[in-house]
Amino acid sequence: MNRLKAIADGQPVESVIHEEVLAKDVVLSVKNFNLFYGRKQALHNISMPIAKGMVTALVGPSGCGKSTLLRSVNRMNDLIDSVRIEGDMLLNGESIFSPGVDVIQLRKRMGMVFQKPNPFPMSIFENVVYPLRIDGERDKTVLMQVCEHALRGAALWDEVKDRLHETGLGLSGGQQQRLCIARAIASDPEVLLLDEPCSALDPIATSKIEDLIDKLRGEYSILIVTHNMQQASRISDHTAFMYLGRLVEMAETSTIFTRPQLRETEDYITGRFG
Amino acid sequence: MSRTIPKRSMQSGVTAQGEPMVWLSGGMFAIACLMIISLLALVLWQGLSTLWPRNYLLYARPDGTLVAGEMYGRTRENGATKLYLRSGNYDVSNQHFLYADEADLASSNPWKPNTLWTVERKEWGNLYGFPKQLSWVDSPSDKLSEEVHAAMKESRSIDQKIAHEKEQLKRIDHAISEARLSIRKVEINEKSDLQGDIDEAVAARFQAAEESPLNWTPSRTISDRAKNAISRFADVSYKADAQMASINEQISQLEAKRAERTVLFELPIADPIGTLELGWDQVLAGKLDSWDAFKELVGPLSTDGETNNNPPTIEVHRISDEQVAWQTLGNGKLPRNFLLRKASPSSCEVFSMREHSVILADIVRFFPPNQLNTFQRLGVYLARWWEFLLGEPREAGIEGGFFPAIWGTVVMTLIMSLAVMPFGVLAALYMREYAKPGPLLSAIRISINNLAGVPSIVYGVFGLSFFCYMVGGYIDGGPAKAGFEPWPSATWFSALGLLAVVGIVAFSVALLAGQMGIHATNRRRWLRNASALLWLATLAGIALLLIKTPHFHGFYQAQLPNPTFGKGCLLWAACTLALLTLPVVIVATEEALAAVPNSLREGSYACGAGQWQTIHRIVLPYARPGIITGFILAMARGAGEVAPMMLVGAIPLATELPLDTEFPFIHGSRSFMHLGFQIYSLGFQSQNSEAAKPMVFTATLLLLTIVTLLNQTAIWLRARLRKRFQSSQF
Repeated sequence: MNRLKAIADGQPVESVIHEEVLAKDVVLSVKNFNLFYGRKQALHNISMPIAKGMVTALVGPSGCGKSTLLRSVNRMNDLIDSVRIEGDMLLNGESIFSPGVDVIQLRKRMGMVFQKPNPFPMSIFENVVYPLRIDGERDKTVLMQVCEHALRGAALWDEVKDRLHETGLGLSGGQQQRLCIARAIASDPEVLLLDEPCSALDPIATSKIEDLIDKLRGEYSILIVTHNMQQASRISDHTAFMYLGRLVEMAETSTIFTRPQLRETEDYITGRFG
Repeated sequence: MSRTIPKRSMQSGVTAQGEPMVWLSGGMFAIACLMIISLLALVLWQGLSTLWPRNYLLYARPDGTLVAGEMYGRTRENGATKLYLRSGNYDVSNQHFLYADEADLASSNPWKPNTLWTVERKEWGNLYGFPKQLSWVDSPSDKLSEEVHAAMKESRSIDQKIAHEKEQLKRIDHAISEARLSIRKVEINEKSDLQGDIDEAVAARFQAAEESPLNWTPSRTISDRAKNAISRFADVSYKADAQMASINEQISQLEAKRAERTVLFELPIADPIGTLELGWDQVLAGKLDSWDAFKELVGPLSTDGETNNNPPTIEVHRISDEQVAWQTLGNGKLPRNFLLRKASPSSCEVFSMREHSVILADIVRFFPPNQLNTFQRLGVYLARWWEFLLGEPREAGIEGGFFPAIWGTVVMTLIMSLAVMPFGVLAALYMREYAKPGPLLSAIRISINNLAGVPSIVYGVFGLSFFCYMVGGYIDGGPAKAGFEPWPSATWFSALGLLAVVGIVAFSVALLAGQMGIHATNRRRWLRNASALLWLATLAGIALLLIKTPHFHGFYQAQLPNPTFGKGCLLWAACTLALLTLPVVIVATEEALAAVPNSLREGSYACGAGQWQTIHRIVLPYARPGIITGFILAMARGAGEVAPMMLVGAIPLATELPLDTEFPFIHGSRSFMHLGFQIYSLGFQSQNSEAAKPMVFTATLLLLTIVTLLNQTAIWLRARLRKRFQSSQF
C-alpha cells in the first residue's frame, strides 16, 4: 500500500513493466508522457509500449487517467483548450506530438470507439463509410466493398445486410456499438482505441463485443480501457494498472492476474481496494 | 440523542396536495383557452360573414322618414338596440352604412321588395335600387337580368380594349423615357448639357416628311454617341406623337361607346311630388278611382307611355300605419315604385323614388337580394370570395380584391426568409462552433437576445435611414447621394494599397495561428486574437473604401432625382424584416446546435474529419429540424409585422406587382401592398373607414390564414426531416 500512498502524496514512483511486455513488437510507444489540464497534472511521466497485434487493457480506479491517456493517442484532447502536454508518443516510430503533425491525418490512422454508442444520424452504410467519405471517396463499388468488409469484421454484416440504407439509429445498443467498431476499422487503422466500449451495454451485447475483440486480435492492435476486471482478464494480452495518473504495473494479463510483482496491483485486481 | 417523534396521521393537509392550486392553474388555463377561442371566433365570424349577401329592408320612422338598407345586424349602444344597415348609394346619400334606433322602427313593418337589385359597381360602392329602364332596349322583357348579363359581356370587351390601348400608351411612354435616359447617360458621361441639341433634333424630325429618315446635323460638334442617342430620341418622339394621337382618339371613342349603355334605377330615396285626394282605405286596398289625377301627378309609368291609358295593377306594401309603398305592374313593363303617406283621412302625400343612372360597364355584379334562396346566396358569396382572393382592388381597396396585397405579403416574406436564413445560421454557427466561449461572447449573446425584444418600429426607422436612404442612395447615385464626402482619387488609392497589405497580413496571421499545435499555448491565443482583430479591421476598411470612393456614381444616376432604390421598396422591406427576425433565427439555431450531442462531434473527429466536415456532415443535418423551427418563428413574426412596413415600402394602393411575368420578374425596387398594412390603412386611414370596417375583418382572416399556411408548410417540412433522426436506443 505504501507505493499507492506515495503516489497519492505526489511523490514520483517508478512504474514496473515486465520484461515479457518489453520484448514484444511495438506499434505505439509512450515516452515520458505528461499531460496538464491547466495547472492540474492528469498524467505523470508515463512510458509504456503497446504491442503490435495484441490487446492491451488499461485498468485502474475512476479518475486515474486511463481515458485521458487513450484520448491522447489520437489527440482528441486537442479539442480542450486548456490542455498542455510534455513528452511524446511514437506511432510505428513516428512522433504524434511534434509540431508538424497534422492531427487530421493522424486520426485517420487510428480508430476510436466511445463509451456510449454514437452512430451518426445517417444510414448504416453511410455510417460505416464515413471515414472514406470525408476523404472524398465516391466510387460506389469501393465504398460497398469497404462497408461489407468492415461490417463482417465487426460481426454485424449478417444482421444488417438487408437494411444497409436504413438509419443507423434504428439498431439496438449492442448493434450500434458494433456499428461504431465497424466505422472505426473501415479505414484500416494502425491502432484501435476502445474507451470502455461495453459499459453502456447489457451482458449479451457485451459478450458479443468481447467475442468481436477476440476476433480482431492479431489483425489490429487494440488499446482498451475497461472497468471490468473479468473483461480485462478474458480479452486482453497485456494489462496496465494505472493509479492517479501514473502507471503502476504492466505485464502479460495472466501474470498480472495470477502473480503480479506488486502487492498493490494484487489488491486492486482482487478487489481489496479501489 | 433521540428526538421525540410526533404523532403521525394517515391524512395529509391541503398544503401537501395543493388542491386550490389545481383549481387556480386550471382556471388560468381555461381563461387562456377562452381568449384564444374568442379571438378566433370573432375573426372567423366577422371575416366569413362580411361577404354574405343579405336581405334589403325598408323601414319607416314614426315621422315618416324612410330607413333602408342591407341588414348587417344589431348592436347595443347605451341600452338602445341599433340596427346596422348598409344603405349604399354613396354617390347620392354620402354614406355607406347607417345606424337606426330599433325602438324608432318598432311601429314599422319592413318592406322586403322583390324587384330591388343589389348592384356592385367599380366606383362608389354598392347601389341598391329598382331597375327602371335599360338605355339599349325599348321595352325590356321578363328576362331582364339575362339581358343585362348579355350586355355586360359586351361592355366588358370594350373595357378590355381600353385597357389594351392604355397598355400601348404606357409602352410608348416607356420607350420615350428609355430614349431620354440614354441621352442623360451620355450627358453624365461627357458632363455636357444636350438640351439645346435635343430641341433642335426634335424640331428637325417633325419638319421632315413622314417617310424620310431623320437627316439632322447638329449645329455644334458633339460626340457620335450623343448624336445617335439624340437621333433615336427624336425618332421615337416623332413616332410616338402620331401613335399617341391615334390611340387617344381610339380611347375616347371607346369610352364614349362605353358610356352609351346605362341602366336607370329608382333608388329608395323618396322625393315628394304632390298630394292625392284619396281615402286611406283605398290606398291600403290599392284601388285607384282618380286615375287621371294620379297620372297627372306621376307622369308616364313606362318608357313608351302607352299603357298610361289603362290603370295598372297596383301591389301594396304596408310599411307602417301611415306609410305605404305602391308598385305599379304594367303588362310586361318594369314596375315603378311610389310611396304614399297619410296626410289627412281623405288625402295622402305621394313620393316618387329618385332616379339614378349607372353606366353598364361600371357594374361588376348584380342580383335581387330578397329573391335569392340559400344556394343562390352561396353562389354570390363564393363569387365575392373569388374576387376577393384573386381580383384587383376597387374603390381604393374598400371593395373588390386583395390579390396584390396577398401577393405582396407572400413575396416579401419569402424574400425575407431567404435573406435571413444564411445570415442567421452562419452567425449562430460561428458563435456555437468556432468562437471561444468567454465574457465577450456572452455579452454578444445577451445583446442578440435583447434585440429580439426591440419594438419593431425601431427597425422600421433604421431600415428607412440605413437601407432606403444610405444603401439605396448609394446604389442610385454613389457615395455623394448617400451623404458621404468622397476622398480624392490619390488618397483613395493609397488607402486601397494599405488595405491590401492589412488583408494579406491578416490572412497570414490566421494561417499561422491555425498551424500551431498543442504545444504552443499563450502564443497561439495571442495570434488568434490578433488575426480576428486584423480581419475586423480589413472588413471596416472595405466598408470605408466603398463609401469614400470617388469612382462610383451609382447604377441609376440617369434617373435621378427620381429614386430607384433610394426609397421604400420590396427589397428594403425584406431586408428590414430580415434584420428584425435575425435574433429569432440566431437564438433558435444556437439552441439547435447546442442540442447536438458532443459524442457525435467526437465520433466524427475520431474518424479523421476536420471541423468543417464535421459541421456540415454531422452537426448541421442533426440540427436542421431545430434550425427550421427558427425559420418558422421568423416567418411567423415577419409576415405579421406591420409597423416597419409603413416606413420601408408598403403602400395602400400599388399599380404593379412586385413579382410578375415581366423581366426581371422580381422587382426589388417597387413598392408593394401588404395585408397587415392594408388592414391598418383600410380600417383607420382611408377616407371611408366606416365602409371599410367589414373588409378589415376579412383581411384579418386572410392574414391569419396566410401566416398559418406558411407556418404549416414549414412545420410539415420539419416533421419530414425529423423522421430521419428518430432513434430507438436499446
